[in-house]
Amino acid sequence: MNAFGDLINGFGTVLTPQNLLYAAIGVTVGTFVGILPGIGPALTIALLLPVALELDNPTGTLIMFAGIYYGAMYGGSTTSILLNTPGESASVATSIEGYQMAKRGRARAALATAAIGSFVAAIITTVLLTFVTEPMARLAVSFRASDYFALALLAMVTVTAVVGASIIRGLMSLTFGLFLGVVGIDALTGQARFTFGVTSMLDGIDVVVVIVGLFAIGETLFIASRLRDLPEQAAPLEPASGFAWLSRADWSRSWRPWLRGTALGFPFGALPSGGAELPTFLSYMYEKRRAKNKDEFGRGAIEGVAGPEAANNASFSGVLVPLLTLGIPTSATAAVMLAAFSYFNISPGPQLLQNQGPLVWALIASLFIGNVLLLALNLPLIRLWVKVLQIPRPLLYAGILVFATLGVYAVSGNIVDVLLAYGIGLIAMIMRHLDFPIAPAILGLILGPLMETQFRRALLLADGDLSIFVTRPLTLTLLLLAVAALALPHLPKLFRGRRPVLSGED
Amino acid sequence: MTQPAPPEAASATPETSDATEPSPLAGLVAGAVLVAAGLGLFTRALTVGADRGITLGGPTFAPIVVTGLWVLVAIAYLGTQAARWRRRTTQPNAARPTWRVPIMLLALLIAYAVVLKYTTVGYVLATVAFYVGAAQLLSTRPRREVIVRDAIVGVVLSLTIYLSFTKLLGIALPAGVLPL
Repeated sequence: MNAFGDLINGFGTVLTPQNLLYAAIGVTVGTFVGILPGIGPALTIALLLPVALELDNPTGTLIMFAGIYYGAMYGGSTTSILLNTPGESASVATSIEGYQMAKRGRARAALATAAIGSFVAAIITTVLLTFVTEPMARLAVSFRASDYFALALLAMVTVTAVVGASIIRGLMSLTFGLFLGVVGIDALTGQARFTFGVTSMLDGIDVVVVIVGLFAIGETLFIASRLRDLPEQAAPLEPASGFAWLSRADWSRSWRPWLRGTALGFPFGALPSGGAELPTFLSYMYEKRRAKNKDEFGRGAIEGVAGPEAANNASFSGVLVPLLTLGIPTSATAAVMLAAFSYFNISPGPQLLQNQGPLVWALIASLFIGNVLLLALNLPLIRLWVKVLQIPRPLLYAGILVFATLGVYAVSGNIVDVLLAYGIGLIAMIMRHLDFPIAPAILGLILGPLMETQFRRALLLADGDLSIFVTRPLTLTLLLLAVAALALPHLPKLFRGRRPVLSGED
Repeated sequence: MTQPAPPEAASATPETSDATEPSPLAGLVAGAVLVAAGLGLFTRALTVGADRGITLGGPTFAPIVVTGLWVLVAIAYLGTQAARWRRRTTQPNAARPTWRVPIMLLALLIAYAVVLKYTTVGYVLATVAFYVGAAQLLSTRPRREVIVRDAIVGVVLSLTIYLSFTKLLGIALPAGVLPL
C-alpha cells in the first residue's frame, strides 16, 4: 500500500486551514464562472488560471485549481441542463435529458442527480487514480520519442473520428488546429513560422485565446445569427414543492446509472485516446436501451442525466492518467491543465512522479477535497442556480462577451490576442453553421506541436532513419491502431452508401 | 463496434449547433474558400521551405505537412459539398441565419478592445457602453422597454468585475477617467 501512504502524506500537505480556504475559494469562483452559459470547464479554468497562479505557491495553486476545476465542471453541467448551452462536447449528453427535465419543471432533481452523481464518480475514480498512476508511470518510462509521436497521433485520430458525424469535417477542424499550432517560433531552431510579421505572434497562439474564440465568442455570434428563431427568455421554472432535491423514486432510479457511468468513464478516459465524448454518449445510449420506460427518454428521464454526468466526471479522473504519466492531454480541459503545469515548470511525463511526487499526491488529495467542498456548496445553491433560467438571453450573452474579452485581456494584456480571439470566434460561428465539430481544432493545436517535437527527436535519435517508426513494435502497434481508429467507424458507412446514419431515434 | 449517437442526434432544440442543415451553397462557398486558403498557405510554406531548405527533421517540414493536409482535406470537403449541390432540392430553407447582428457584434467587440487598449476611458465606462450595446443587438424587444434594465445590469456587472479583479485578485484593469 505504498500509494496509499503517499496519498496520506498528500492529505497532510493539503489539509491546512489556509489550503482549505483556497479550495473553498476555488470551488466557489469556479462554479460562479463555470455557470456562465457557453463558458465550459476548459474556458473557465483558462479564465481563472491567472488567479490561481497569483498565489506563487505550487501546492496552494494546485488546490485552488482542483477546486476551480470541479466547480467549473459542475457549473458547466448546470447550464447544459438549465439552458441547453453545453460549453464543451462532454456535457452534450447530459443536456439531452437534463434540458427536457428542466423544461418540465424538474430542474432541481436534474441538478441534484448531476451533483451527487458527479461526486460519487469523482470519489470512486480518484481512489482508482491513486493506484493506477504509479504503475502507469513506470510503464511510461519505457516510452521513446517515436512512441509518443504515434500515441499523440492515435489520440488525435480517435477523438476526431468519434466526435461529429463527418470524418472530413472533423479532419478539417483538426487541420485548422494543427495550423494554429505551427504559428510562432520553432522551438528547436528559433525560426519564425506563419507569424506574418506580427511580433506578438512569435510566441505562438495561446490556447486560452483559441478556446475563448472557439467557444464563448463563437457560440455567442452563433446565437446572434439566429436570434429570430430563439425565444427572448428560457422556459420559466415550475415551482417545485418541498425541500428535498431527489424523491425516493429519483434516488432508486439514479444510483445504478451513477455506478455504470463511472465504470464507463474511467477506463475510456484513461485510454491515451481518452476524452469524455465517447463514454458520456455510451452511457446515455446504454441507459436508454435498458430503461423500462423507454418513452420517457426524450422527455426528461433522470437516468439520462445521472449516467452521462457520472461518466463525464469519471472520465476526467481517467484523463489525468495519461496527462500525469505521459504528458498527453486528451481533452480540452486537460490541455489547459497542461498549460497551467508549465507555468510552474512542472512537465508531466514519466519522471513527474519521481521528481515531483509529493506535488502529485497533493494534487490527488486536492481532488478529494475539492469534491467534498463542491457537493457541500452546490446542493444548497441549486435553489439559486435555477433562477438563471429567468435571466433574459441578451443580458446573458452580452455578459459572456464581457467575460470572454476579460479572460483574454487578463491572460495576455495584448490587443492582438484579443482581436485574434474575435477572429477565431467568427470562424467558429461559421464552423457551427456548417456543422464542423469544434473539439478537434483544440486537440490539433495542443497535440500538433507535441507530435512535431517528438517526431524530430525520434529522427534525431535514429540519425534521420524513418524506419524507426515501423521497426519499434510499440510505435508500429500505436500507428496501426490510429489507422484502424480512423477507418473502422466509417467502414459500414462506406459500404452502405453515402446516406448519413443516425443512431438516435429522438 | 456500436457507435454512440453522434452529437447531431442530440439536438432536439434549436439552441444547439447542429439543428439546421447548412444550405448547399454555403457549403460550396466554404469549400472553395478553404481550398483557396489552403493553397495560399501551402505555397507560402513551400516558398519558405525552398529558401531555408527542407529536411525531414527541419523546421520547414511541419508547416508543409500541415498545409498540405489542409489542401487535401479541403478538396475532399469541396467534393462532398459539390455532390450535395448537385443533389439539392428546391425546398424553402426554414431557418436562414441573419448575418447583420453577428457582424455588428464583432464590430462592437473590436471597438471595445481598441477603446480599452488605446484610450483613457477605462474599464468600467467602456464595459458599460459595450454591455448595453451588445445587449441591444442581441435583444428582439423594442429599445425603450429594455434600455434601463440593460444599463443597470451593465453598471453593476462592470463595477463588480473591476473591483473584484483589481482589489481581490490583483489583476490590473485600466482605471480610466473614473476615480476608482
